Amino acid sequence: MDNLLHTVVLMLEGTQVTLQIFFVTLVLSLPLGLMAALGRISDFRILSRFMEFYIWLMRGTPLMLQLLFVYFALPMVGIMLPDIVAALLAFTLNYAAYFAEIFRAGIQSIDRGQYEAAKTLGMTHKQTMSRIIIPQMIRYVLPPVSNETINLVKDTSLIYILAMNDLLRVARTIVQREFDMTPFIVAAVFYLIMTAVLTWGFKKLEAYYGKYDR
Amino acid sequence: MGNTTDNEVMLRLTQIHKRFGDLEVLKGIDLELRKGEVMAIIGTSGSGKSTLLRCINRLEEIDAGRIEIKGRVLAQNNSDNVAEYVTDKEARDILSCTGMVFQQFNLFPHMTVLENLLEAPIQVQKRKREDVIPEAEILLKKVGLLEKKDWYPSRLSGGQQQRVAIARALCMKPDIMLFDEPTSALDPELTGEVLRTMRELAEERMTMIVVTHEMNFAHEAANHVVFVEKGVIVEQGTPQMVMDNPQEERTKAFLKNML
Repeated sequence: MDNLLHTVVLMLEGTQVTLQIFFVTLVLSLPLGLMAALGRISDFRILSRFMEFYIWLMRGTPLMLQLLFVYFALPMVGIMLPDIVAALLAFTLNYAAYFAEIFRAGIQSIDRGQYEAAKTLGMTHKQTMSRIIIPQMIRYVLPPVSNETINLVKDTSLIYILAMNDLLRVARTIVQREFDMTPFIVAAVFYLIMTAVLTWGFKKLEAYYGKYDR
Repeated sequence: MGNTTDNEVMLRLTQIHKRFGDLEVLKGIDLELRKGEVMAIIGTSGSGKSTLLRCINRLEEIDAGRIEIKGRVLAQNNSDNVAEYVTDKEARDILSCTGMVFQQFNLFPHMTVLENLLEAPIQVQKRKREDVIPEAEILLKKVGLLEKKDWYPSRLSGGQQQRVAIARALCMKPDIMLFDEPTSALDPELTGEVLRTMRELAEERMTMIVVTHEMNFAHEAANHVVFVEKGVIVEQGTPQMVMDNPQEERTKAFLKNML
Protein backbone atom coordinates (compact mmCIF):
# COMPACT_ATOMS: atom_id res chain seq x y z
CA MET A 1 0.00 0.00 0.00
CA ASP A 2 2.83 2.36 0.92
CA ASN A 3 4.41 1.45 -2.36
CA LEU A 4 1.33 2.44 -4.35
CA LEU A 5 1.07 5.72 -2.45
CA HIS A 6 4.70 6.46 -3.26
CA THR A 7 4.06 5.66 -6.94
CA VAL A 8 1.06 7.95 -7.02
CA VAL A 9 3.02 10.81 -5.43
CA LEU A 10 5.81 10.45 -8.02
CA MET A 11 3.29 10.34 -10.81
CA LEU A 12 1.49 13.44 -9.54
CA GLU A 13 4.78 15.25 -10.00
CA GLY A 14 4.92 13.93 -13.57
CA THR A 15 1.34 15.07 -14.07
CA GLN A 16 2.42 18.59 -13.19
CA VAL A 17 4.85 18.61 -16.12
CA THR A 18 2.15 17.20 -18.40
CA LEU A 19 -0.38 19.82 -17.31
CA GLN A 20 2.16 22.60 -17.66
CA ILE A 21 2.86 21.67 -21.29
CA PHE A 22 -0.85 21.23 -21.89
CA PHE A 23 -2.02 24.56 -20.53
CA VAL A 24 0.75 26.71 -21.94
CA THR A 25 0.37 25.12 -25.38
CA LEU A 26 -3.39 25.63 -25.31
CA VAL A 27 -3.20 29.25 -24.16
CA LEU A 28 -0.64 30.09 -26.86
CA SER A 29 -1.91 28.02 -29.78
CA LEU A 30 -5.57 29.07 -29.66
CA PRO A 31 -4.97 32.81 -30.31
CA LEU A 32 -2.10 31.98 -32.66
CA GLY A 33 -4.38 29.60 -34.56
CA LEU A 34 -7.05 32.29 -34.84
CA MET A 35 -4.51 34.76 -36.23
CA ALA A 36 -3.24 32.14 -38.66
CA ALA A 37 -6.82 31.44 -39.79
CA LEU A 38 -7.47 35.16 -40.36
CA GLY A 39 -4.20 35.37 -42.28
CA ARG A 40 -5.13 32.31 -44.29
CA ILE A 41 -8.43 33.84 -45.46
CA SER A 42 -7.02 37.34 -45.86
CA ASP A 43 -7.10 39.09 -49.24
CA PHE A 44 -3.42 39.88 -48.73
CA ARG A 45 -2.03 37.15 -50.96
CA ILE A 46 1.48 36.83 -49.59
CA LEU A 47 0.17 36.42 -46.05
CA SER A 48 -2.46 33.95 -47.17
CA ARG A 49 0.10 31.88 -49.08
CA PHE A 50 2.53 31.92 -46.20
CA MET A 51 -0.14 30.66 -43.80
CA GLU A 52 -1.12 27.96 -46.25
CA PHE A 53 2.51 26.83 -46.37
CA TYR A 54 2.87 26.94 -42.59
CA ILE A 55 -0.29 24.89 -42.06
CA TRP A 56 0.77 22.39 -44.69
CA LEU A 57 4.22 22.02 -43.11
CA MET A 58 2.89 21.53 -39.60
CA ARG A 59 0.11 19.14 -40.51
CA GLY A 60 2.20 17.31 -43.06
CA THR A 61 5.03 16.19 -40.76
CA PRO A 62 4.88 14.15 -37.53
CA LEU A 63 4.76 16.10 -34.30
CA MET A 64 7.53 13.79 -33.08
CA LEU A 65 9.77 14.94 -35.93
CA GLN A 66 8.99 18.57 -35.14
CA LEU A 67 9.92 18.01 -31.49
CA LEU A 68 13.19 16.34 -32.44
CA PHE A 69 13.96 19.11 -34.89
CA VAL A 70 13.48 21.90 -32.37
CA TYR A 71 15.36 19.96 -29.71
CA PHE A 72 18.32 18.64 -31.68
CA ALA A 73 18.60 20.56 -34.94
CA LEU A 74 18.17 24.13 -33.71
CA PRO A 75 21.16 23.91 -31.30
CA MET A 76 23.32 22.91 -34.28
CA VAL A 77 22.67 26.29 -35.86
CA GLY A 78 23.35 28.02 -32.57
CA ILE A 79 19.81 28.34 -31.21
CA MET A 80 19.86 26.93 -27.70
CA LEU A 81 16.52 26.70 -25.96
CA PRO A 82 15.77 25.37 -22.48
CA ASP A 83 14.08 21.92 -22.71
CA ILE A 84 10.66 23.11 -21.71
CA VAL A 85 10.74 26.07 -24.11
CA ALA A 86 11.79 23.82 -26.99
CA ALA A 87 8.91 21.45 -26.26
CA LEU A 88 6.41 24.32 -25.94
CA LEU A 89 7.60 25.85 -29.21
CA ALA A 90 7.03 22.64 -31.15
CA PHE A 91 3.67 21.91 -29.54
CA THR A 92 2.40 25.45 -29.99
CA LEU A 93 3.38 25.71 -33.66
CA ASN A 94 1.86 22.33 -34.38
CA TYR A 95 -1.41 22.84 -32.57
CA ALA A 96 -1.85 26.39 -33.87
CA ALA A 97 -1.85 24.95 -37.40
CA TYR A 98 -4.62 22.49 -36.57
CA PHE A 99 -6.63 25.15 -34.75
CA ALA A 100 -6.15 27.49 -37.72
CA GLU A 101 -7.88 25.06 -40.05
CA ILE A 102 -10.71 24.51 -37.57
CA PHE A 103 -11.20 28.27 -37.16
CA ARG A 104 -11.04 28.86 -40.91
CA ALA A 105 -13.80 26.32 -41.50
CA GLY A 106 -15.82 27.91 -38.69
CA ILE A 107 -15.46 31.43 -40.07
CA GLN A 108 -16.34 30.32 -43.59
CA SER A 109 -19.50 28.59 -42.37
CA ILE A 110 -21.02 31.90 -41.23
CA ASP A 111 -23.71 33.15 -43.60
CA ARG A 112 -22.77 35.98 -45.97
CA GLY A 113 -25.86 37.87 -44.80
CA GLN A 114 -24.17 38.46 -41.46
CA TYR A 115 -21.33 40.36 -43.15
CA GLU A 116 -23.84 42.31 -45.24
CA ALA A 117 -25.97 43.24 -42.24
CA ALA A 118 -22.88 44.44 -40.38
CA LYS A 119 -21.72 46.40 -43.42
CA THR A 120 -25.05 48.16 -43.90
CA LEU A 121 -24.92 49.14 -40.22
CA GLY A 122 -21.60 50.85 -40.88
CA MET A 123 -19.35 48.37 -39.11
CA THR A 124 -15.73 48.11 -40.21
CA HIS A 125 -14.24 44.77 -41.23
CA LYS A 126 -12.46 44.53 -37.89
CA GLN A 127 -15.66 45.22 -35.94
CA THR A 128 -17.54 42.72 -38.06
CA MET A 129 -15.01 39.99 -37.36
CA SER A 130 -14.61 40.64 -33.65
CA ARG A 131 -18.23 41.39 -32.77
CA ILE A 132 -20.28 39.37 -35.26
CA ILE A 133 -18.35 36.61 -37.01
CA ILE A 134 -15.90 35.25 -34.43
CA PRO A 135 -18.43 35.06 -31.57
CA GLN A 136 -20.71 33.02 -33.82
CA MET A 137 -17.80 30.91 -35.03
CA ILE A 138 -16.93 29.83 -31.49
CA ARG A 139 -19.95 27.61 -31.08
CA TYR A 140 -19.39 25.89 -34.41
CA VAL A 141 -15.76 25.12 -33.63
CA LEU A 142 -16.22 23.93 -30.05
CA PRO A 143 -16.68 20.22 -30.93
CA PRO A 144 -13.55 20.00 -33.14
CA VAL A 145 -11.55 22.18 -30.73
CA SER A 146 -12.61 19.86 -27.91
CA ASN A 147 -11.34 16.94 -29.97
CA GLU A 148 -7.96 18.55 -30.58
CA THR A 149 -7.65 19.58 -26.96
CA ILE A 150 -8.14 15.99 -25.80
CA ASN A 151 -5.54 14.92 -28.36
CA LEU A 152 -3.15 17.45 -26.87
CA VAL A 153 -3.43 15.91 -23.41
CA LYS A 154 -2.28 12.60 -24.87
CA ASP A 155 0.29 14.12 -27.25
CA THR A 156 2.12 15.70 -24.31
CA SER A 157 3.46 12.19 -23.63
CA LEU A 158 5.70 12.60 -26.71
CA ILE A 159 8.06 14.77 -24.67
CA TYR A 160 9.45 11.61 -23.08
CA ILE A 161 11.94 11.62 -25.98
CA LEU A 162 13.23 14.97 -24.73
CA ALA A 163 14.02 13.38 -21.37
CA MET A 164 11.44 15.42 -19.53
CA ASN A 165 9.71 13.75 -16.60
CA ASP A 166 6.10 13.89 -17.63
CA LEU A 167 3.41 11.51 -16.41
CA LEU A 168 4.16 8.71 -18.87
CA ARG A 169 7.92 8.84 -18.46
CA VAL A 170 7.65 8.70 -14.68
CA ALA A 171 5.36 5.69 -15.01
CA ARG A 172 7.75 3.94 -17.37
CA THR A 173 10.73 4.59 -15.10
CA ILE A 174 8.96 2.98 -12.14
CA VAL A 175 7.80 0.04 -14.23
CA GLN A 176 11.33 -0.65 -15.46
CA ARG A 177 12.81 -0.30 -11.97
CA GLU A 178 10.31 -2.40 -10.05
CA PHE A 179 8.92 -4.83 -12.64
CA ASP A 180 5.40 -3.78 -11.64
CA MET A 181 2.75 -2.83 -14.18
CA THR A 182 0.62 -0.83 -11.73
CA PRO A 183 2.10 2.58 -12.73
CA PHE A 184 0.83 2.10 -16.29
CA ILE A 185 -2.67 1.56 -14.96
CA VAL A 186 -2.33 4.56 -12.66
CA ALA A 187 -1.13 6.64 -15.64
CA ALA A 188 -4.12 5.53 -17.70
CA VAL A 189 -6.44 6.56 -14.88
CA PHE A 190 -4.71 9.96 -14.65
CA TYR A 191 -5.11 10.58 -18.39
CA LEU A 192 -8.73 9.49 -18.22
CA ILE A 193 -9.41 11.90 -15.36
CA MET A 194 -7.85 14.77 -17.31
CA THR A 195 -9.82 14.04 -20.46
CA ALA A 196 -13.01 13.54 -18.46
CA VAL A 197 -12.61 16.99 -16.92
CA LEU A 198 -12.05 18.46 -20.40
CA THR A 199 -15.02 16.65 -21.89
CA TRP A 200 -17.20 17.98 -19.07
CA GLY A 201 -15.81 21.51 -19.51
CA PHE A 202 -16.45 21.55 -23.25
CA LYS A 203 -19.96 20.23 -22.72
CA LYS A 204 -20.62 23.21 -20.45
CA LEU A 205 -19.12 25.60 -23.02
CA GLU A 206 -21.24 24.13 -25.80
CA ALA A 207 -24.35 24.53 -23.68
CA TYR A 208 -23.41 28.13 -22.97
CA TYR A 209 -22.75 29.04 -26.59
CA GLY A 210 -25.79 27.10 -27.77
CA LYS A 211 -28.15 29.08 -25.58
CA TYR A 212 -29.27 31.38 -28.38
CA ASP A 213 -30.50 28.47 -30.44
CA ARG A 214 -33.21 27.48 -28.02
CA MET B 1 -44.41 63.23 -54.91
CA GLY B 2 -46.67 66.21 -55.54
CA ASN B 3 -47.30 67.01 -51.90
CA THR B 4 -43.64 66.77 -50.93
CA THR B 5 -42.76 70.10 -49.42
CA ASP B 6 -39.05 69.39 -49.28
CA ASN B 7 -37.68 68.65 -52.72
CA GLU B 8 -34.18 67.73 -51.62
CA VAL B 9 -32.72 64.97 -53.78
CA MET B 10 -31.63 62.17 -51.46
CA LEU B 11 -30.28 59.83 -54.08
CA ARG B 12 -29.32 60.23 -57.70
CA LEU B 13 -28.24 57.33 -59.91
CA THR B 14 -26.88 58.11 -63.34
CA GLN B 15 -26.33 55.53 -66.11
CA ILE B 16 -25.67 52.62 -63.74
CA HIS B 17 -24.17 49.58 -65.39
CA LYS B 18 -23.50 46.33 -63.58
CA ARG B 19 -22.49 42.96 -64.92
CA PHE B 20 -21.92 39.56 -63.34
CA GLY B 21 -19.39 37.95 -65.64
CA ASP B 22 -20.92 37.92 -69.11
CA LEU B 23 -24.37 38.81 -67.89
CA GLU B 24 -25.23 42.50 -67.86
CA VAL B 25 -27.86 42.87 -65.13
CA LEU B 26 -28.17 46.68 -65.08
CA LYS B 27 -28.05 48.42 -68.44
CA GLY B 28 -27.93 52.11 -67.77
CA ILE B 29 -30.27 52.96 -64.90
CA ASP B 30 -31.18 56.57 -64.09
CA LEU B 31 -33.10 57.19 -60.91
CA GLU B 32 -33.83 60.01 -58.54
CA LEU B 33 -35.24 59.79 -55.04
CA ARG B 34 -36.52 62.82 -53.18
CA LYS B 35 -36.94 63.38 -49.48
CA GLY B 36 -40.06 61.77 -48.03
CA GLU B 37 -40.63 59.74 -51.16
CA VAL B 38 -41.66 56.08 -50.96
CA MET B 39 -40.40 54.33 -54.05
CA ALA B 40 -41.49 50.82 -54.93
CA ILE B 41 -39.37 48.89 -57.40
CA ILE B 42 -41.32 46.10 -59.06
CA GLY B 43 -40.42 43.57 -61.69
CA THR B 44 -39.97 39.87 -62.33
CA SER B 45 -37.33 37.77 -60.56
CA GLY B 46 -34.03 38.27 -62.29
CA SER B 47 -35.00 41.66 -63.63
CA GLY B 48 -32.12 43.25 -61.70
CA LYS B 49 -34.24 45.10 -59.15
CA SER B 50 -32.51 43.62 -56.09
CA THR B 51 -29.10 44.19 -57.65
CA LEU B 52 -30.09 47.81 -58.26
CA LEU B 53 -30.93 48.24 -54.58
CA ARG B 54 -27.72 46.50 -53.48
CA CYS B 55 -25.67 48.79 -55.71
CA ILE B 56 -26.95 51.83 -53.84
CA ASN B 57 -25.25 50.86 -50.57
CA ARG B 58 -22.30 49.13 -52.18
CA LEU B 59 -23.23 45.54 -51.35
CA GLU B 60 -22.54 45.23 -55.07
CA GLU B 61 -20.12 47.50 -56.89
CA ILE B 62 -21.19 49.08 -60.13
CA ASP B 63 -19.05 48.83 -63.26
CA ALA B 64 -19.98 52.19 -64.67
CA GLY B 65 -22.15 55.16 -63.74
CA ARG B 66 -22.51 57.60 -60.92
CA ILE B 67 -24.03 57.29 -57.46
CA GLU B 68 -24.76 60.39 -55.46
CA ILE B 69 -26.26 60.25 -51.98
CA LYS B 70 -27.43 63.48 -50.33
CA GLY B 71 -25.23 65.43 -52.69
CA ARG B 72 -22.09 63.40 -52.01
CA VAL B 73 -20.55 61.25 -54.70
CA LEU B 74 -20.04 57.61 -53.75
CA ALA B 75 -18.83 56.47 -57.17
CA GLN B 76 -18.38 58.01 -60.58
CA ASN B 77 -16.78 57.23 -63.90
CA ASN B 78 -13.13 57.93 -64.50
CA SER B 79 -11.80 58.95 -67.90
CA ASP B 80 -12.08 55.32 -69.12
CA ASN B 81 -15.80 55.24 -68.23
CA VAL B 82 -15.17 52.81 -65.39
CA ALA B 83 -16.78 53.58 -62.04
CA GLU B 84 -14.40 54.47 -59.26
CA TYR B 85 -15.38 54.56 -55.62
CA VAL B 86 -14.28 56.98 -52.94
CA THR B 87 -12.14 55.58 -50.10
CA ASP B 88 -13.69 52.94 -47.82
CA LYS B 89 -13.76 55.37 -44.94
CA GLU B 90 -15.53 58.06 -46.93
CA ALA B 91 -17.93 55.50 -48.41
CA ARG B 92 -18.88 54.37 -44.89
CA ASP B 93 -19.50 57.97 -43.95
CA ILE B 94 -21.66 58.67 -47.03
CA LEU B 95 -23.61 55.45 -46.54
CA SER B 96 -24.18 56.07 -42.84
CA CYS B 97 -27.43 57.83 -43.78
CA THR B 98 -28.80 54.60 -45.28
CA GLY B 99 -30.32 51.60 -43.54
CA MET B 100 -31.18 48.25 -45.03
CA VAL B 101 -33.68 45.47 -44.40
CA PHE B 102 -32.98 42.11 -46.00
CA GLN B 103 -35.16 39.33 -47.32
CA GLN B 104 -33.51 36.89 -44.88
CA PHE B 105 -33.63 39.34 -41.91
CA ASN B 106 -29.94 38.73 -41.06
CA LEU B 107 -30.34 39.43 -37.37
CA PHE B 108 -27.30 38.63 -35.26
CA PRO B 109 -28.29 35.26 -33.76
CA HIS B 110 -25.84 35.44 -30.84
CA MET B 111 -27.37 38.65 -29.52
CA THR B 112 -30.73 39.31 -27.92
CA VAL B 113 -33.27 41.50 -29.70
CA LEU B 114 -32.22 44.56 -27.69
CA GLU B 115 -28.50 43.88 -28.24
CA ASN B 116 -29.17 43.64 -31.98
CA LEU B 117 -30.46 47.21 -31.86
CA LEU B 118 -27.72 48.54 -29.58
CA GLU B 119 -24.76 47.02 -31.41
CA ALA B 120 -24.22 49.51 -34.23
CA PRO B 121 -25.09 52.74 -32.37
CA ILE B 122 -22.59 51.76 -29.66
CA GLN B 123 -19.84 50.27 -31.84
CA VAL B 124 -20.12 52.49 -34.91
CA GLN B 125 -21.53 55.78 -33.62
CA LYS B 126 -19.66 55.38 -30.31
CA ARG B 127 -22.75 56.36 -28.37
CA LYS B 128 -23.29 55.56 -24.70
CA ARG B 129 -25.24 52.38 -23.99
CA GLU B 130 -27.52 54.11 -21.48
CA ASP B 131 -28.36 56.79 -24.08
CA VAL B 132 -29.26 54.27 -26.78
CA ILE B 133 -31.34 51.89 -24.64
CA PRO B 134 -34.37 54.23 -24.27
CA GLU B 135 -34.36 54.94 -28.03
CA ALA B 136 -34.09 51.25 -28.84
CA GLU B 137 -36.96 50.48 -26.49
CA ILE B 138 -39.14 53.13 -28.14
CA LEU B 139 -38.43 51.55 -31.54
CA LEU B 140 -39.19 48.07 -30.23
CA LYS B 141 -42.43 49.34 -28.79
CA LYS B 142 -43.25 50.91 -32.12
CA VAL B 143 -42.83 47.58 -33.93
CA GLY B 144 -44.74 45.88 -31.12
CA LEU B 145 -41.92 43.74 -29.76
CA LEU B 146 -40.78 45.47 -26.58
CA GLU B 147 -41.77 42.49 -24.44
CA LYS B 148 -39.43 40.30 -26.53
CA LYS B 149 -36.37 42.48 -26.04
CA ASP B 150 -34.41 39.87 -24.09
CA TRP B 151 -35.22 37.01 -26.46
CA TYR B 152 -32.81 35.54 -28.95
CA PRO B 153 -33.91 35.92 -32.61
CA SER B 154 -34.25 32.15 -33.15
CA ARG B 155 -37.24 32.10 -30.79
CA LEU B 156 -39.13 34.69 -32.85
CA SER B 157 -41.35 34.12 -35.88
CA GLY B 158 -40.16 35.36 -39.27
CA GLY B 159 -42.47 38.35 -39.14
CA GLN B 160 -41.22 39.27 -35.68
CA GLN B 161 -37.61 38.88 -36.79
CA GLN B 162 -38.21 41.16 -39.74
CA ARG B 163 -39.79 43.81 -37.51
CA VAL B 164 -36.74 43.63 -35.24
CA ALA B 165 -34.54 44.03 -38.33
CA ILE B 166 -36.47 47.17 -39.28
CA ALA B 167 -36.06 48.53 -35.75
CA ARG B 168 -32.36 47.68 -35.83
CA ALA B 169 -31.88 49.69 -39.03
CA LEU B 170 -33.94 52.60 -37.65
CA CYS B 171 -31.85 52.69 -34.47
CA MET B 172 -29.02 54.17 -36.58
CA LYS B 173 -31.35 57.07 -37.50
CA PRO B 174 -31.01 56.68 -41.27
CA ASP B 175 -32.42 59.19 -43.75
CA ILE B 176 -33.02 56.57 -46.43
CA MET B 177 -34.34 53.05 -45.79
CA LEU B 178 -33.72 50.32 -48.33
CA PHE B 179 -35.95 47.24 -48.26
CA ASP B 180 -34.89 44.20 -50.27
CA GLU B 181 -37.99 42.03 -50.71
CA PRO B 182 -38.73 42.25 -46.97
CA THR B 183 -41.72 39.90 -47.04
CA SER B 184 -40.57 37.34 -49.61
CA ALA B 185 -39.19 34.89 -47.04
CA LEU B 186 -42.31 35.06 -44.87
CA ASP B 187 -45.33 32.81 -44.65
CA PRO B 188 -48.30 34.62 -46.19
CA GLU B 189 -50.01 35.10 -42.83
CA LEU B 190 -46.93 36.92 -41.49
CA THR B 191 -46.46 39.47 -44.28
CA GLY B 192 -49.23 41.72 -42.97
CA GLU B 193 -47.49 42.67 -39.74
CA VAL B 194 -44.30 43.63 -41.60
CA LEU B 195 -46.16 45.60 -44.27
CA ARG B 196 -48.08 47.39 -41.54
CA THR B 197 -44.81 48.50 -39.92
CA MET B 198 -43.52 49.71 -43.28
CA ARG B 199 -46.76 51.58 -43.97
CA GLU B 200 -46.40 53.37 -40.64
CA LEU B 201 -42.88 54.38 -41.60
CA ALA B 202 -44.13 55.67 -44.93
CA GLU B 203 -46.79 57.72 -43.17
CA GLU B 204 -44.07 59.30 -41.04
CA ARG B 205 -42.50 60.42 -44.32
CA MET B 206 -39.45 58.23 -44.07
CA THR B 207 -37.63 58.20 -47.42
CA MET B 208 -37.76 54.61 -48.60
CA ILE B 209 -37.01 52.36 -51.53
CA VAL B 210 -38.81 49.04 -51.43
CA VAL B 211 -38.07 46.19 -53.81
CA THR B 212 -41.23 44.14 -53.57
CA HIS B 213 -43.64 41.64 -55.05
CA GLU B 214 -46.45 43.03 -52.90
CA MET B 215 -48.52 44.86 -55.51
CA ASN B 216 -51.05 46.11 -52.97
CA PHE B 217 -48.31 47.64 -50.89
CA ALA B 218 -46.75 49.28 -53.94
CA HIS B 219 -50.12 50.64 -54.98
CA GLU B 220 -51.22 51.99 -51.63
CA ALA B 221 -48.07 52.93 -49.72
CA ALA B 222 -45.73 54.07 -52.47
CA ASN B 223 -45.94 57.42 -54.19
CA HIS B 224 -43.55 56.44 -56.95
CA VAL B 225 -43.43 53.09 -58.71
CA VAL B 226 -40.57 51.91 -60.90
CA PHE B 227 -41.02 48.91 -63.17
CA VAL B 228 -37.73 47.22 -64.05
CA GLU B 229 -37.23 44.50 -66.61
CA LYS B 230 -34.04 42.98 -68.01
CA GLY B 231 -31.89 45.62 -66.38
CA VAL B 232 -33.69 48.70 -67.68
CA ILE B 233 -36.43 50.91 -66.28
CA VAL B 234 -39.42 50.30 -68.50
CA GLU B 235 -41.81 52.70 -66.89
CA GLN B 236 -42.03 54.85 -63.78
CA GLY B 237 -44.39 57.32 -62.18
CA THR B 238 -47.19 57.45 -59.62
CA PRO B 239 -48.87 54.11 -58.76
CA GLN B 240 -51.94 55.37 -60.60
CA MET B 241 -49.92 55.97 -63.74
CA VAL B 242 -47.80 52.83 -63.74
CA MET B 243 -50.16 50.32 -62.17
CA ASP B 244 -53.64 51.48 -63.13
CA ASN B 245 -52.85 52.90 -66.51
CA PRO B 246 -49.59 51.43 -67.80
CA GLN B 247 -48.40 52.66 -71.17
CA GLU B 248 -45.86 49.97 -72.01
CA GLU B 249 -46.83 46.50 -73.20
CA ARG B 250 -44.23 44.87 -70.92
CA THR B 251 -45.66 46.61 -67.87
CA LYS B 252 -49.16 45.49 -68.81
CA ALA B 253 -48.00 41.90 -69.26
CA PHE B 254 -46.22 41.91 -65.90
CA LEU B 255 -49.16 43.36 -64.00
CA LYS B 256 -51.52 40.89 -65.61
CA ASN B 257 -49.33 38.02 -64.41
CA MET B 258 -49.21 39.38 -60.88
CA LEU B 259 -53.00 39.37 -60.49
